[in-house]
This record gives sequence, C-alpha cells and structure tokens, in this order.
Amino acid sequence: MGRKILLDKAHVPGIRSYDVYRREGGYRSVEKALRTMSPDAVVEEVKKSGLRGRGGAGFPTGMKWSFLAKPEGIPRYLVVNADESEPGTFKDRYLMEFLPHLLIEGIITSCFALGSKVSYIYIRGEYAWIVSILEHAIEEARHNGWLGTNILGTGFDCEIYVQRGAGAYICGEETALLESLEGKRGNPRIKPPFPAVKGLWDSPTVVNNVETIAAVVPIINEGGDEYAKIGVGKSTGTKLISACGNINKPGVFEIDMTISVEEFIYSDEYCGGIPGGKKLKACIPGGSSVPILPANLLLKTAKGDTRIMNYESLSDGGFATGSMMGSGGFIVLDEDQCVVKNTYTLARFYRHESCGQCSPCREGTGWMERILLNIDQGKGKMSDIDLLWDIQSKIEGNTICPLGDAAAWPVAAAIRHFRDEFEWHILHPDECTKRNYGLAHYADPIHIPA
Amino acid sequence: MSEQQLFKVTIDNITVEVAPGTTILNAARQIGGEVTPPAMCYYSKLKDSGGKCRTCLVEVSKGSEKDPRPMPKLVASCRTTVMDGMEVKNITSPRVIDARAGVVEFLLINHPLDCPICDQAGECHLQDLGYEHGKEETRYEFQRRSFHKVDLGEYIQLHMTRCILCYRCVYTADQLTDSREHGVLDRGDHAQIATMIQKNLKNDFIGNVIDVCPVGALTDKTFRFKNRVWFTKPMDAHRDCSKCCGEVQLWMRGDEVYRVTARKDEWGEVKESSKGSTGWICNDCRFDKKHASDWIIEGPTNVSRHSVISANHYQKLEQPKETVTEVMNGIEPRLFMNIHDVSEVNQQHVQLSLIDGPATGKVFNKNAD
Repeated sequence: MGRKILLDKAHVPGIRSYDVYRREGGYRSVEKALRTMSPDAVVEEVKKSGLRGRGGAGFPTGMKWSFLAKPEGIPRYLVVNADESEPGTFKDRYLMEFLPHLLIEGIITSCFALGSKVSYIYIRGEYAWIVSILEHAIEEARHNGWLGTNILGTGFDCEIYVQRGAGAYICGEETALLESLEGKRGNPRIKPPFPAVKGLWDSPTVVNNVETIAAVVPIINEGGDEYAKIGVGKSTGTKLISACGNINKPGVFEIDMTISVEEFIYSDEYCGGIPGGKKLKACIPGGSSVPILPANLLLKTAKGDTRIMNYESLSDGGFATGSMMGSGGFIVLDEDQCVVKNTYTLARFYRHESCGQCSPCREGTGWMERILLNIDQGKGKMSDIDLLWDIQSKIEGNTICPLGDAAAWPVAAAIRHFRDEFEWHILHPDECTKRNYGLAHYADPIHIPA
Repeated sequence: MSEQQLFKVTIDNITVEVAPGTTILNAARQIGGEVTPPAMCYYSKLKDSGGKCRTCLVEVSKGSEKDPRPMPKLVASCRTTVMDGMEVKNITSPRVIDARAGVVEFLLINHPLDCPICDQAGECHLQDLGYEHGKEETRYEFQRRSFHKVDLGEYIQLHMTRCILCYRCVYTADQLTDSREHGVLDRGDHAQIATMIQKNLKNDFIGNVIDVCPVGALTDKTFRFKNRVWFTKPMDAHRDCSKCCGEVQLWMRGDEVYRVTARKDEWGEVKESSKGSTGWICNDCRFDKKHASDWIIEGPTNVSRHSVISANHYQKLEQPKETVTEVMNGIEPRLFMNIHDVSEVNQQHVQLSLIDGPATGKVFNKNAD
C-alpha cells in the first residue's frame, strides 16, 4: 500500500471549500513557514527533500529555486505551469479540480521562500471550469487572510492571479509560457538568459509545475528529511501518475516510486490489469513525448532487473533500452493496438503544435507526419523507415526548445523497437489496413547477454 | 573601455580576440571566409533577431578556459556569446555539416524552387545556402505548402509560399516603425506572415522589409518582373532626403533606374550610413525616385557578397587580349557534342509542364519512358 501525501484528503466531502480544507489541517505549512522559518530555511527544506520537478524534465526544485537571481528593487515572480497539454497527462487537472486549496497553499509558501509577492497560475485554456474553481478558492483564501497584504501579521504580501492560455501545447514550455503570459505570441525564447535571471517582464522568475508546488506543502509540514525518506535514491516523495489506454481502471494514482511497473499495471490498487485478459504490447510511461517501450523492456530493464516506477529505473539503459518518467502520463497499449498508427497520431499532434519558429521542428514534424500516414495507409516504401530515422535525428537537439526533441523521440523509439511492424506495414499494404500486426515477440522474455 | 579584457576564441583552429558579449557568429565574421556560419534569420541591425533558422549551428568543443567541458548540443552561433578560451568547430565538425545539410533540406522542402521566375534570384540567401550547404536532391515527395500572393499595401507583395519564417521583417516593422505593422499568424508549418485583416503596410520606412527578406517572399512591386538582378548595374547614389539618410544603391540598366535599395555589406545586411546610423531608407527614396536625375550618382558599387551579382564584371569590362586559339595552344574551337544527344533533361519529347511537384532526375526518366 503506497503512502499518499498529496491526494490523501482528495475524497473528503466538500474538501474543495476552504472550511473543510482548513479543518482537515490545511494552511498549516503557511503558518509554519511564515511564523517560524526564514525564506532561506524553506528553500533549504525543499533542497533536503530532494523534490524533483514534476513537469517532465525532473530537475531538482531546490536547486532551481537557489538559482533565482535576487537583485535589489526588481520584483521576482513565481509562475505555476498549469498548461498541462501533454497527451496522456491529466494529473494536474485532478489536483486542481479536487484540491484547489492545496495548490494555493503551496504557492503562498513557495512565494514566501522565493520572496515573490505576485504569482501567476498559467492554466490550460481547455480547463475552463477549473479556472472558476481556482478563482473561487483564491477568493476564499483572501477572505480568510491567507492572501493580500500583511499575511498572518508577518508583513508578507502575496497575490495570485489565474491566467488562461488559449490552447497551445507549446505554451507549456516555460519560456513560451512567459511570452504568452506577457500577452505575446507563445514562441519559446532562446536560452540563455534563463527565466531565473530574466523571466516574466525581464524579472527573475521561477516556473514550476502544479504538482511540484503542491508537494511543497507536505515537505514543509513534515520536514524535508521526512519527505526524502519516501521513495528510493533520487526519486523522493510521491508522484502522481495519470494512467490511461488499455487498462481496467484509468485514472490518477499517487505512487511512492518504489512499486514495480508490473505491479502498477496489474495490481487492483492501481490500473487493475488489461481489459479482456489481453496481453500487454507496449507502453508510453511518461506522457506522449517520451520513448515508447515494448512489454519486455518495460517490465524488465536490459540488465534483467525489475523496472520500478521512478526516475532512475524508467530511464535505465538510456534511450536504447529505456524511457523516461516524464510528466507521468502512463499510456498502455494492448496486443490489438497498432504502433504505426499510434506513432502517426503523435506525429500529427506535434506537427499541429509546433510553434513554427525554428526550421527543423516546423518542417520536420510535418514531413514525419506525412510519411507515417503513408506507411499507416499501406502506401509506404521501405526507404521511408530510414528516411524517418534520418529526419528525427536532424530535428533532435537542433531546435530552440524541447518540442523538437519531444516530436523526434516517439518516432525514434517506435522505429528502434518496432521496426518489424513498420516493415510489415510496408510489405503488406492491403492487409495492414484491415488488421493489426499483433503482439509479435514484444512480450517475449528479453535476451540478456551473459 | 580600451582597457577591456578581450576574449580569445578559436574557430576552426583560427584564433581571434573579441570583446566580451560578442556572439560566436560575429567573431567568425571577423575572421571571414568559410569559417563564417551561414545565417538566414540573424540580422545584426535588428534586436532579438536570430536563433530561428538553425543554419548557423556550430559545435562548441571547449566551453571556456575555466570550464573546458564541451557543450552537449550544437548551439546557434548567432545567439551564443563567446567565453574566454572557447573552441568552436564549424566546418571542421562532421556533426555540424550533417546538421546544417539537414536544416537546408528542411528549409527547402516547402520552398517552391521557382527561382527562374523569382525576383530575388541572383541575390537570394537561400539560393546561396542551398548551393553551398545543401544536397543535390530532395527526399521530399509530398505536395508543397502554398499560399495566395497578398499585396501588403501599394508597393510590397508578399509571396508567403517562398517564406522561410525568419521573422526579420517582423522585427524590422517592430523596430523601425512606431506601431506594430505585421506579425505571424497561426503556428507550425502553416504559420504565415500577415497583416491584421489585410491591413496595408503604410509606414514611411516599411519598404525596408524588402531589403531584410533573405528570400523572395517580400518583393518590390515597382520592380517585379522588370528585370533580372544580374542584368542591372548597382550604382552608389545619394540625395538630400528629409526622412532618411538618402544613401542608396540604384540598380540601373543603361540610364534607367529599375530599383532603389539600401546599401548592403558583405553579409547582405544594410550598411551603416555616413552619419553613423543604420542606412535604412524611406519609401519615397525607394519607390518614387526612379529617375537618374533624382540622384547624385557616386559610381559603381563594389559588391563584396558571395553571390551571382558579386562578379563586379561591369566595373572593369575588358576584352581578353588572347584569342581562344592562343589560349588552347593553337587548337581551333570546334563543336564537341550536341547537348540533346547526351542530356536526359533536354530531350524534346519530355513535357515539362506535365511534371507534377518537385522535379527530380527520376521524374524526368519516368516521363521519358
């Protein structure tokens, strides 16, 4: 039984309202931080906790906070990235919808640590109903003295504003988010300078994911050392996983990063297995942009160890035989799914969402999509596979922001692990439009060199 | 400032000393020649430009003297500043050459390659880039992106199909004019340069977007289809203008002025005027003063850009003294072969107009069958 520290109160009736949240022990972290701690001590606790950014890259949050430039006379900002648009990821939505006050509490504590008086929640445009939930919660918090000026009589001021995006995936990239927040076209900025030095309105800015900020609350309540005891190695604390695809119980689960992938998929506590007793074919373990893994490499690493749901284990073996924790969008594919079609769908998404600023991503994503559509419809050529590989390698690493990488990785991984399925599509142009390739050997035990 | 510490940076084994804050690209430009990475979107006179086209990618094999670690990714040299002791590989890095060929291919897959009817041909940066860094054949087999031509006001035509989205014109309009004149609509490969609801570009200095455009996407309507660039002679000229510096290049054929542009340096960028500021010119000078009598002509421009127009052949037109026979050691010139006998491209029964899409050698062969 995994330990829950974020979602433990999510199903208390009426937890969305301030009164219930407060009665359940809410806003304790703000009291503790503001009354008994210095801002630097809060940052130190977060550092000790080993908390890693939950948005996808997994960068240590405490370190990110300590990079924040603190020049005199210039405001600093905390921006909460709630532009959760990665296909397969919907954990922040759950968190904000059920526990809006947890996020607000985290923001106030984080703002205190960073010396920021104004914070923005940049929320995905499609989450329209959550905006009103958040705004209502902010109003309640202000009414009860947790926001505004001179909070708890300590002289600390804090304001939170909610800003809706207009539905662009690229605005989840931190610098594109800042551009969009400033009212400009959401094009990623060229780094350096990093937001920690020159972010929102040229002021030092920290951009954090919703889940990261929410995790600050238990860290302050229980102490960074206590938080670091949960989990293993550098994967401390709990992580929200949004599971979807061919599983019996899709939804958001809080895991403590010690359970195995196999347990996560098959145990009734989590995904509850695959419907109809079908076999597992492949899985995208961290949101659409991370490499897809075939069943055998998903359950065991190339070295033969059991794969655990945490940052290190999922990326064990690099991209050759591993994947990434990413944002926690866990997409399961059973034996009836077609990897080519799946890759095409993802390529179409990235083509549509590329901002069009730099050439490899703008032109390359569209090119890959067209080739994949051809292969999917049985019109492909054998040389197309190598061409796809070449295109993705020319995009990866050569773009301004990680969207180019995110578009290249799924294609690369699909070809790396499922090349025979691509070849089957090309060799059987009529058959491939009528039936799926099936399971092949993807679920066979992996060959481990002695 | 004279006491300022200079940074040593080594690019392709050539060391140069530059001021801190200089970008790798500008350091390479100080060396010049092949060491200089190509740049399609960077424009030194425009703030914030660059970083978008990715043609100037270079490999940093040593970060600096203090931190010698190499940078893991290729970096855009136009936006990366040098550090003391930095070592950069441009044409000596196979990775860079490979990535650059990839970028050129990406830039060309949706480009119409209509150079024979494009006014920019001969002074087009994309032509130069494709020629110097690209591959011979495209691997793209799909319909190319196309847009309708749009008139942006009285003098400028936008042919979006040719655009490579370098954003230079957007920055020009932003930085040279009082209000934002145009921007980019949509995103991804359907992004386009556009004015809001076909609003005309009216500003006095908006004509400069034609000069900054690296391709034939923004063309001068007073010059369109009038002449090929290489048939005209660029002449330096000036006039007393109340709005701009009045220092221009006239593109003349005989006594007729076909086109007026700003003066450009060897990187294809607008030069500084004699008054010290960037030599942007106003619409009056560019579009209305089309008579030689409007101008005080200084003399032929010495074009230093590596381009078709750089031959400077008109400057010293001299007939060689030796005849062909003399050069060939007494052999009389004779007809070697009839081109139609050896070339597949020139076969008369191939109907060029029936070829759909990008024409490659394979298409011609198929048509000839």
